Amino acid sequence: MNTIEQQLWDYIDGNLNETQRKSIEEKIESDISVKLQYEELLNLNIAFGEMELDEPSMSFTRNVMEVVALQPAPVSLKTKVDNRIIFSIAAFFVLSILAMLGYIVYNTTFVMPDFSKYFAVNLNVEKVLTPTTLYIFIGVDLILGLIFIDYVLRKKLNHKN
Amino acid sequence: MKQELTDLELIQNVLTGETGQYALLVKRHQRFVFTLALRFAKNREDAEEIAQDCFVKAYKALGSFKQTAKFSTWLYTITYTTAMTFLRKKRLDTSSISDEQIFLQLENHTSAFNANVYEQQNSHAFLNLAINELLPDDATIITLFYKGEQSLEEIGEALNMEPNTIKVKLHRARQRLKEKLQYLLKDEVKELL
Repeated sequence: MNTIEQQLWDYIDGNLNETQRKSIEEKIESDISVKLQYEELLNLNIAFGEMELDEPSMSFTRNVMEVVALQPAPVSLKTKVDNRIIFSIAAFFVLSILAMLGYIVYNTTFVMPDFSKYFAVNLNVEKVLTPTTLYIFIGVDLILGLIFIDYVLRKKLNHKN
Repeated sequence: MKQELTDLELIQNVLTGETGQYALLVKRHQRFVFTLALRFAKNREDAEEIAQDCFVKAYKALGSFKQTAKFSTWLYTITYTTAMTFLRKKRLDTSSISDEQIFLQLENHTSAFNANVYEQQNSHAFLNLAINELLPDDATIITLFYKGEQSLEEIGEALNMEPNTIKVKLHRARQRLKEKLQYLLKDEVKELL
């Protein structure tokens, strides 16, 4: 659809490039019917721009604020995912790894090797790394993982709403 | 002189706990949201209900508002979807009305319309009447373009349409509005425009 009327509206709205603008200006200048049509559309455009907005009732803002007061205060999604929670999880992992390492080192019968004979460190970790310890560690990881997924899904849900 | 806070500043304040400042946002946008709602509802009571619902929805979702966009565009998206939902619900509700009731409603509407025409003898009133006679989508696009200070891209975003579709729809809406004005004003249209 590229009728003369459409071109005139585009000209009035300022949606034409330099060449198109010059072309339509020439048409307005040379053709009296186009000029009349342009003037009519220009007047219409002014009239449309002067339309008045309707006013709601005087109590509108009060009514809205009364309903809003019953709602929980909105919080930015940026602050909903609290960084402290993320740092706490990271700190837990680091501490648990350090504690485990410390415990292993503490309970290990560390024997300085005789470098003259062979180059090896005898670390006896079998006493500490029992299946129960591993299950507990994996279990805690799993719970923390589920908490994290829960946060991510909640964030997505809030974003959709 | 105290400078007026922008929409984004007010939103920041609301999000940091100053929820009372939301009233300023409501006051700033209520006329426009109400007018858009009126384009769909056609009566003030329903339009107020839609507009109120929009502001409550916007408040609830304020945390998810991307503060890189214009608040008004986001608010008009909510208004449009809320009004469309209202219209669909209304159609379902009114489908059970008997023919006699419809005839009475139409008759009342016409007489009220005529009364309004004689009472409001000015171009603005005629223009508003003509806009009310348009389809809700056409009336919304015209209102958003002329009074909402929205670009074709922003209107497209608010109505979930391509800017080019909006451009074509705007053109058609202006044509229809011109025809409605000509029909309402007959020969006076040239004097008034």
